[in-house]
Amino acid sequence: MAYPFTEDHDMIREAVRAFAQDWYDGGKGSEKVFKSGTGFDLNAWQSLSQELGMAGIAVDEEYGGAGLGDLGRVVVMEELGASLCSVPFLMSGGIATDLLQSFGTDAAKAMYLPRVAAGKITPAYVEGVDGITLDKGQLSGKITHIAFGNAASHFILSFEMEGEIALGMVMAANPNITVSTETTMDPTRSLSSVEISNLSLDDVKVIGTTDRAHLQTIVDRSFITLAAECVGGAQACLDMTLEYTGQREQFDRPIASFQAIKHRCADMFIAIEAARSAVLNAAVAEENEKTDAALIAKATATEAFFKVAGDAIQLHGGIGFTWEYPLHFFFKRARANKSIFGTPEDAYDRIASGLFGDAA
Amino acid sequence: MSDPVQQVREEFGTWMKENLVGEFACLKWRGTFGDDEAYPELRKKWEQKLGEDGWVGVGWPEQYGGRGYSLPQLVAFNEEYARYGGPGRSGHIGETLFAPTLIAFGSGAQKERFLPGIRNGTEYWCQGYSEPNAGSDLSNIKTKARVDGDEWVLDGQKIWTSLAVDADWAFVIARAEPGSVGRQGLVFLLIPLDQPGIEIRPITQITGGSEFNELFFTEARTHKDNILGDVGDGWKIAMALLGFERGASTLGQQMIFANEVNEIIKLAKENGKARDPIIRQRIAKAYAGLKIMRFSALRMLSTAESGEMSAEAYISKIYWASWHRDLGELAMDVMGSDAEVMANGEFNALQKMFLFSRADTIYAGTNQIQRNIISERALGMPKEPRGTKS
Repeated sequence: MAYPFTEDHDMIREAVRAFAQDWYDGGKGSEKVFKSGTGFDLNAWQSLSQELGMAGIAVDEEYGGAGLGDLGRVVVMEELGASLCSVPFLMSGGIATDLLQSFGTDAAKAMYLPRVAAGKITPAYVEGVDGITLDKGQLSGKITHIAFGNAASHFILSFEMEGEIALGMVMAANPNITVSTETTMDPTRSLSSVEISNLSLDDVKVIGTTDRAHLQTIVDRSFITLAAECVGGAQACLDMTLEYTGQREQFDRPIASFQAIKHRCADMFIAIEAARSAVLNAAVAEENEKTDAALIAKATATEAFFKVAGDAIQLHGGIGFTWEYPLHFFFKRARANKSIFGTPEDAYDRIASGLFGDAA
Repeated sequence: MSDPVQQVREEFGTWMKENLVGEFACLKWRGTFGDDEAYPELRKKWEQKLGEDGWVGVGWPEQYGGRGYSLPQLVAFNEEYARYGGPGRSGHIGETLFAPTLIAFGSGAQKERFLPGIRNGTEYWCQGYSEPNAGSDLSNIKTKARVDGDEWVLDGQKIWTSLAVDADWAFVIARAEPGSVGRQGLVFLLIPLDQPGIEIRPITQITGGSEFNELFFTEARTHKDNILGDVGDGWKIAMALLGFERGASTLGQQMIFANEVNEIIKLAKENGKARDPIIRQRIAKAYAGLKIMRFSALRMLSTAESGEMSAEAYISKIYWASWHRDLGELAMDVMGSDAEVMANGEFNALQKMFLFSRADTIYAGTNQIQRNIISERALGMPKEPRGTKS
């Protein structure tokens, strides 16, 4: 078995791959989500989370999860990314799980984690540290571009309370919360604005408290999942390109036999394998190297996906530019991933601050 | 201390700390890529010191005087060596390229004759592969070998031979079947360098120094037993040897790279470039590359024993070479206008690294050849149309 995987990981990979490819169906899955205008597929999420039990892949076993941590989650996200499967795993199985496990009180963990793992609730994270204010026991604020905000059953809000950062769980259906689906360039992963007006703290279950720096660390680490999605998506783009250029003939030869094509494919492969190493490194990194490794993974993998998706369109020629051919969904997802929860430049800047021992 | 990897770290780390001192102290961090000419005699003495205490050939089987280290132990060994600033190894071509080939293809008598000299640091080797018209197209070998009585006789020319000036022997591929082309009819011969039929001419390179040489054979001779395998096996053996080039030593190389990155960070702090946001981005990217190379090497080594090239093994050469070339450019941009000045009349380590790193993307398979290999072997794309030979 190639490092760092075990047979458990292979079994999960097989299961998620079969599910996601079936859903994708050569691009029909993405097209269906586009036509629905919702940016996610509720049925698919119910199957993945409830039937396959994948929502709790990183949830500790004592709370009903598989306890497979970052590496298990990387395997799941890679396969979901390869089929652009429109399910809110990134939020529920990703950051919401991490916030609960890192900051949740024992009571909060016992209350929410088993339901997250079973797919009974789907929390999304709303970063409100600078956008949500607490005044006289009421929360207010409007946060935009929340991934899968319209798919969430609950929100985990972060906000300042008595000099600390509080994390509060609230039902998405609360009458003081308005969720509006935004119209997005990438139609297969929804973004929403979440407007909170005079939401009573009584409606919010505070699951734990922390400080800004620690919260940022956990958020950064959580996006190893996003990086894994990028690796899966990029690999799918390269696979499509190899298949297409192997069949397409010009000058009486498959265009895959021309060096100009081959070398571009080699560069795509190099970018993907480097990103894969970055992601796996982050998934298994020791505690003291984890945050840096996660930043490296996110920067490297989001850049690789965007490069590879763009190259794939170029190497497909005209057909790559059409709506009919599903590459555009990958290109748009790759573009979106570069700016969700910070850009590659942000990540590199934070890495540099660590190296120089300063903050630029 | 039951963990065998940790045991290597402790034992060899202690040895390095205790021995890279005194007359050897000046060798720290010297003699690596682009600095091969530093202290050649003292580095041979260092090699002998390593050999005396059993630190040469640690990866060889015990029956050949090695320690039979596993891959994780080799990784630890190489990392400890580099951690203490161990100098570029004068014997590395013999130890890591020739010896594994000899163990795989040599006769008992050949192993008995040649392994001890490598292990004790008393005989040094160089590699005679490339020729003026056999570079990327390596099978286009023109150097001729014929049998004359008890001897092989060689005529021709090799080029880009590293460390030839300090070597005692060369392993050479040559054409033994007149009229053969491509990969057929080649032999893998072992040639003593100290003889009238051999002339070594150093090539002055971009740094002004000369690590590479030309080797001229004019009726150069070697005993007829100094052949590995048979006539016609030359290509197979030469390629197997190249396979040994990818190995645990890559992690030692990465420790050297890490040291270079640290030097650049230190300089940027000193001269204020650390405040330049674009330089910061580039340094962070270089650092990210280091981490990626290390993890790729761990992935690669975990499957190395299966004998199959894994995906990440294909990217190793082009990735580190391109990364190192970019690091050289970054180093100069961090130096700024000081990069133009040779303080004390010679290049500092970063300037030397900048210039020498232009070779990284050329030797041991150019970036362009690497892309061919990746696309054809890792991705299964159609082969380039080739000439009629081979």
